[in-house]
Amino acid sequence: MNNTNASLQAAPTILLVESNISEQENFAHIALQQGWQLVICNSGIDAIHWFNKSNTADILVIEENSAPLNGYQTADYIKTELGLMLPVLITVGTVPTPQELRIMAFAEGLIKKPFVESATILQINEILERFPQKSPAEIDCYSLKYLRDIFEGHEESVFESLELFSTSVNTELEQLDIKLQVRDYNRIREIAHSIKPSFEMLENETGRSICHLLNSEAEETEMPGLIHDLQLEFASITRQLTRDFPALKIGV
Amino acid sequence: MKKILVIEDNPMVIKSLEFKLTKDGHEVLIAKDGREAMKFLKEASFDLILTDLMLPFVTGKEVISYIKKNSPKTPIIVLSTSTQENIIMDAFNMGVDDFITKPFSPNELSLRVKRFLNKA
Repeated sequence: MNNTNASLQAAPTILLVESNISEQENFAHIALQQGWQLVICNSGIDAIHWFNKSNTADILVIEENSAPLNGYQTADYIKTELGLMLPVLITVGTVPTPQELRIMAFAEGLIKKPFVESATILQINEILERFPQKSPAEIDCYSLKYLRDIFEGHEESVFESLELFSTSVNTELEQLDIKLQVRDYNRIREIAHSIKPSFEMLENETGRSICHLLNSEAEETEMPGLIHDLQLEFASITRQLTRDFPALKIGV
Repeated sequence: MKKILVIEDNPMVIKSLEFKLTKDGHEVLIAKDGREAMKFLKEASFDLILTDLMLPFVTGKEVISYIKKNSPKTPIIVLSTSTQENIIMDAFNMGVDDFITKPFSPNELSLRVKRFLNKA
């Protein structure tokens, strides 16, 4: 493990887990040019040890096939066990290994290798904008304000609505995947229209915006990416709901 | 007690509408798609109908057309989203009485519903 840019205290810190020396150097070159503070670990276990020493990072960039814990398992451990909500980018080869939706939900995005300077900078900056250096406790994926208002403070109805959110949106997201495979874009737009109010009722702006795009101006070629982002956002909401209300029947 | 038919497929919107309208003292019947709505409309009469436009099986436009033909005096409020301007205009041209944007404001819903039920 080495810190290659420790002097830049104000710069975002990126923890890179990469076993290939050539790719480490490639990423370090980009980080140096961008002024990112870079910490490199050789495995997910090393990264967990690093976080356990009360170190923090703004983004974890980890290879999909890291061993013994792969990228998703490491992200799961860091978020679930250590309670750190930092964004995770999984680095993949030309063809990513297919993953279940609930596994993919542990990451905020994928980044292709070999690292291409322009694409890497774009993705890292996009994540930094989406997660503007907030502490984990400050990142709220949802609000109960609207539900408490509409149900006039009747908490049982609020919680039933949260369970409805989890089950009904999950079902529709699975449908989005199916309809995407058969290129039924009209049905995709209808599903997005149908679930948009669910995100709005939880005051989740990201989900609302993605549904709006899918339902209105999104090109067919943009739909796979938008659906993927919507699934990740849904997973973030349900993860936080599970953490905040363990008694609720919520699961992705 | 006034009888309201809600035609809507989003379970969270249904739950909130059912809660609010029942609390306001109305009898509420829910149709989760256009086909179910047509069944209810053939079996009973209603004092007010709240309907989405994008519905599974039978579209909102078809449902509105049926109501206008068979029960023209029944007021219709469309439950819309902000992306449906053209569809909303079409609905108005078909004779719907009002629209409410989802997710709705509880007080706004109560006031608009009360307004049409008082007219009935």
